[in-house]
Formats: sequence, structure tokens, C-alpha cells
Amino acid sequence: MSPTEIHQLNFGPITAHAFNKDRTQVAVCPNNNEVQIYTKAGKGWNLIHTLAEHDKLVTGIDWAPESNRLVTSSQDRNTYVWNFDTETNEWKPTLVLLRINRAATFVRWSPHENKFAVASGARVIAVCYFDEEHNWWTSKHLKKPIRSTVLSLDWHPNNVLLAAGSADFKARVFSAFIKGVDQKPPPTAWGDKLPFNTICGEFSNGSGGWIHCVAFSPSGDALAFSGHDSVISIAYPGGAIQSVGLTSLPYLSLIWTSEKNIIAAGYDFTPVLFENTNEGW
Amino acid sequence: MRSNTLRPYLAAVRSTLTAALCVENFSSQVAERHNNPEVEARLSSLEVVVNPLTISRNKHEKVLIEPSVNSIRVSIKIKQADEIERILCHKFTRFMMIRAENFIILRRKPIILVDFIIQFMEEVDKEISEMKLSLNTRARTVAESYLLQFT
Amino acid sequence: MSFRSFDIDSLDEDILAQDELFVFSNGVEITPENASKHVKTKGIEVRNQLTRGDTANALITAIESPPYGVHTIDAKDQNTKIVMDVLNSIKATDIPSLVKLLSREQQDILMKYIYRGMSSPDLYNSTVLLNWHEKLTEVAGVGCIVRVITDRKTV
Repeated sequence: MSPTEIHQLNFGPITAHAFNKDRTQVAVCPNNNEVQIYTKAGKGWNLIHTLAEHDKLVTGIDWAPESNRLVTSSQDRNTYVWNFDTETNEWKPTLVLLRINRAATFVRWSPHENKFAVASGARVIAVCYFDEEHNWWTSKHLKKPIRSTVLSLDWHPNNVLLAAGSADFKARVFSAFIKGVDQKPPPTAWGDKLPFNTICGEFSNGSGGWIHCVAFSPSGDALAFSGHDSVISIAYPGGAIQSVGLTSLPYLSLIWTSEKNIIAAGYDFTPVLFENTNEGW
Repeated sequence: MRSNTLRPYLAAVRSTLTAALCVENFSSQVAERHNNPEVEARLSSLEVVVNPLTISRNKHEKVLIEPSVNSIRVSIKIKQADEIERILCHKFTRFMMIRAENFIILRRKPIILVDFIIQFMEEVDKEISEMKLSLNTRARTVAESYLLQFT
Repeated sequence: MSFRSFDIDSLDEDILAQDELFVFSNGVEITPENASKHVKTKGIEVRNQLTRGDTANALITAIESPPYGVHTIDAKDQNTKIVMDVLNSIKATDIPSLVKLLSREQQDILMKYIYRGMSSPDLYNSTVLLNWHEKLTEVAGVGCIVRVITDRKTV
């Protein structure tokens, strides 16, 4: 295990962050309407760019590793895609046509980086893709049956399925298949016929609590989600579900490190590792 | 005896506050581009306002905690055993209320906040009984000097 | 009714209503009559177990399958009373070992009843409840309290 490096970038909270592909740069939001990009310089990090296009709190940042594009979402209801212009050495924003009327709460690039999904307080998920004909980013809405603010998203490795966790206590798996953008995906454990807005699964922890985080396992055959009721559940296609009740405060973020290990972090200040022994989690 | 029941009472308040203070930045679902404390937003989204909890030590001393996704409201009932304590309590809460704008800390630092509230609860009882004592002393002095003229 | 006092938000079909929240929280509702009947038989069983001195099972019977629901108010009151009777009859020194016996779900329900009891200090003894609260938090952690806060299946 490599030692932890601690760098203090500012003194306030950080509401969102994303690293670039080789982890030499990091984009963070210092709890305001700006996105700051730091680059690694020797032992420290230097601020090189400040992206100030949003006019309310930035809620989500994602850095596409291959195409080197940033996407940011904000409570001002907008999302920008940022392209790095090597000639002027600047990040250039492009506004995305989201058509949502509440805050954007979360954003994630799809694995192939040709789409991204934006969660919002308008009880919809906007799946965005590049419209070649009009030369802009446009979106399609996943709406039913979401009944509250969507708090988190995660893409299935096949670039089509999308998991969403919402404040109506449910974690769901949707199809975000866009005709003309996606190839027809091979059958998955979650289903084989997948037109847009197919609901492939709907899960709940059983004791209320907003779903703070959803995460597909590396193979995409299992979905982990964490609720505000301090319960972490692992759901499988077909409806099987295993819940782990915790004695600590709720977890906000989950990362699968393998098919059998999940790292969770949350209100307790300490990351925790969960392991699947043969009996269960 | 007194501190015997005070300790579990404050411990319960502390653990409940720790659990309730898991809040996040949550923009309103009802009003566009607004970000209000959901616990105070009337007729707002029910799913983000959760069950209120009461912790009581006895009939006269209790704490009501109303948590929500982005804010919590804490109401504290302080012991008011007799008329003087009631008046002092009223004055004291009024004193706090007109300075409410200065309690910025109440909206910023979550962990220190728990300690702060506990400390406040520990001291407010003491403060009120001290005020009561000094009030009684003053009343006695006044009465004595008033009665002096009749001797 | 004037148009100004018209609640337009209630027309938004996406908004979650109180009883829908209960369903979303995976709650299954029983009719108030059935709930009361169920609680009554439960009360008799608990009393028998208490007279036999079987406090551990009395506690479990009392908190098992609470009358969840939006309209089962009467049954909830009765059930709370049963649980409080059991809690009051258990010696303070026995609490830690009893709490450890309970499953995670049972601990969550017990915590709900402790808070329910504390919300009416004129009816129930808060000192006893505070003691239970402390011992239960030691075993089940703050996660247990978080679940009391979030769970719409109230007791």
C-alpha cells in the first residue's frame, strides 16, 4: 500500500472533485461556483486554471480519462462540457441543452465517453449525447418512476445501463440506450432487450433513507448502494439483495476495488473496506 | 443525584445530534434556484424531512430534534420550576433571540456544534440558578434597606 | 375558495404523499382493527412471560412485528405501553446482556420504542428510558439512531 499524501488546497469544504487520467491534475470545487484545477508540481500542487462559468454551487465534476474533457454540473441548473484548447492553453466551456428546471446534482461520463448522465432535483435524469447535426450536446430524459431528487449515478461497463440513487429511498437500474449513438449491447444479466427508459431493477434498503451512492461492480453484475439509514446493500439482477446494517453513521460514497471488495466512506470520516466472504458481505 | 440523571440525558442528546447532523447541500425541489432549510420549508418535499425525535429527562426538561436532508432544528426546554425561574428563562431566551443573527456558528461547523449545544445545555441550568440566587440576594438587600426606615 | 389560497403543489403528481412514503419504505399496512386485535393478544402473551420471569422473551415478543401504518394510532399506543411495561420490569444490571441478545432489526425497533416513550415523559419514566438508550447505543451504535430517524415505519 502506498502512503497517503495529504495536500491542503483550501480551508473550506470540497463539494466535488475529479482526477485526470494519470492523476497529475485534479479539478475541485471549493464550495462555491468555481472549479479549480491544480497540477502536481514536485511535492505540492499548483493552481493553474479557474473555471468560472456557473453562477451557483458546483455539485459534480467528472474528468473523461481518454478524451480529456471535463463535465461539471451545478445548482444553477446547467451543465458545461469543457474542452482543453492546447493553443491558448485554456479550458473552453460548451453549454449543454439539459432542459431541467431544478438543480443538477451529479454528473458522470459513460465508459465510452460519448455520453454522460446528469442527475437533477427535477426528478429526472438527463442522458446527454453529442448531436453531430446541430453541433451541440443535447439530452433525453429518464423520468418514470423517479419520485424525488436523484442524488447519484453510475454507468454499467457496457455504456448502456445506468444506475441511479434517489431521495425516494430507491436505487434503480435504467437503460440509457440512445439510438444512433450506441451499438446494440450484448445481453447482460440485467436483461437483453433494452430500449431507452427500461427499468431493469428497483431496490430499497427497507428502512427509508435517501440513496446517497450507487456503484456497479467491475463486471457490472452487481450493484451496491448506500442509504442514509446506515445500510449498505448489494443487489443482483432478478431482485436478490443483501443488506448490511451498520453501527456507524451513513456512508456517502462506494468504490468497488474488485468483485469482492468495496470501499465505503461517509459521515464517519474514515473509509471502511467491505469484503464478500463466501457466506456473504 | 442531580448529575446522575443529567449525564445519560446529555449522552442521549449527544448521540442523537450526531446521528441527526448528517446533512448535505440540497437544493430545493419546489422552488427553482433556491436552497432553503427543508425543515423550515412549509409544504415542501415530505421525503427529505424525516422523523422528529424527543429526548426527555422529565416532564420539564426535554429536547426536540427535527432533522432533514440539509438542516436540523433543535428545541430545548429548560427547567422552569417556579415563577422566578420562568421569568428568568423568558428574559434569557429573549436575550438570545435578539442576538440570533450573531450565532453564525450554528450554521457552519457540524462537529463543534454538538459540543457547543451540550455545553450550552450544561451551563444554562447553572446560569439560571445563579441568576436566581443573585436575584434573591438583591431582593433581600432591597427589602432590608426598605424596612430599615421603619426601625 | 379564492385562487390565491389554492394549493397548486398538491396537483403535482410527482410529489410524494405521506402514505406513499410509507409504501416506498417497503411498509405493509394492516387495518387498524386487526392491528389492535393483534396487539391485544400480544399483551396477554407478554404478561404471561413476565410472570414466568422470562424477561428476555417478553422483550422480544413485545417489540416483534409492531403495528406499522399511517392509521394504526390506537394499536401503536397500546403496543408502546406493553413495551414500556417490559422495559420498566427489567433490572438495570440486566440491560447490557439483553441488548446484546437482540438482532439488528430488533435493536432498531427497540430504539424506536425508546424514543417513542421519551416523547411523552408524563406517561413513561424517562430515567429508565435514558438508561436503556445509553446501553443500546453502546451496542448498536449511532447507526441505530440514524435508522430511527429515517425509517417511515414508525411505532
